Amino acid sequence: MRLLVTGSAIRGLPVVTISGGEDVAEVRDVIYSPEAGRVVGLTLNKRGFLAGRCREVLPAETIHAIGRDAVMVDDETSLILPEDAPADVGAPPSGRDVTGDEVLTEQGTSLGKVRDVVVLVGSNGEVVGYEIDTAAGGTGYIPLPAQLAVSGSALVVPEATKEFVEDDLVGLGAAVDEFRSRLGIR
Amino acid sequence: MSDRFAAASGRKVVSRTSAEELGNLAHVVIDVKRRQVASLVVGKGRKALLIDWEQVSGFGPDAVMVADESAQYSPRDDRERAAADGKLELVGKRALSDMGNDLGTVTDVQFDPVTGGIESLVLGDREEPAASLLGAGSFAAIVRAPAE
Repeated sequence: MRLLVTGSAIRGLPVVTISGGEDVAEVRDVIYSPEAGRVVGLTLNKRGFLAGRCREVLPAETIHAIGRDAVMVDDETSLILPEDAPADVGAPPSGRDVTGDEVLTEQGTSLGKVRDVVVLVGSNGEVVGYEIDTAAGGTGYIPLPAQLAVSGSALVVPEATKEFVEDDLVGLGAAVDEFRSRLGIR
Repeated sequence: MSDRFAAASGRKVVSRTSAEELGNLAHVVIDVKRRQVASLVVGKGRKALLIDWEQVSGFGPDAVMVADESAQYSPRDDRERAAADGKLELVGKRALSDMGNDLGTVTDVQFDPVTGGIESLVLGDREEPAASLLGAGSFAAIVRAPAE
């Protein structure tokens, strides 16, 4: 059983220093790399009355944990200027937004369109699945293998994914490990 | 014997040399790294003054005795100002685990009135050893994630 959260639920979370107990920023957006299959960093907003975009970014390597209620970092030095950050965080290539991409199985069944990424709670950005708008018009959650083909308009997932379309995050949390063991991942 | 922050709040602070009452204990400021009471805040608002723990000669059940009146000082920097304003007060502060999950509110802090050593944090009906406290600031107290 794994605890999961969507990318949109991460937005707005306070970024809190473990050593200082201060809320130094809040999450503006997640920077997702479909190739890496993970969140590579977070863009930030200022907290409080000074609200507005914060120039600093938070690379995943410096995130202690993405939790349900806050993103934890060791201290303020984890927030760095984009020019000092790894390229995929400081200046992410455009056109890698998977939102709206069609999810196709290897045998050619469309499972729906990507709405959001699903992140493992307690990790520093491990993406374990996608939230999708299903063809039937509902919401579904699918687990992700470690790697998959992404074109910019569609992504191809293993055929077995069909059997693991879950109705909610709790179901996906329970299904991730079984799905991965079926595919022979870890 | 242990004492607790919530019970000590409002206790009168008295100068040992003059027997003069200096005011009431408003806040206790802790040094997280040493897990130790660092200073006391006496009085509220603009009149709030700090007293270092080293100047406390007796933290008793009815009064906090300090060396003398001159032990009190006005906040000298932002952190001391925040402490004097009660922004660093642990009791009532949100508790967050280092994994980013809410643990409720710090309802009380148990400490040794002789040494000033912090013994444990009370989070509602749970208690966490002082060693679990990783950091504390104006936003939250950070507590090592309890085993699930």
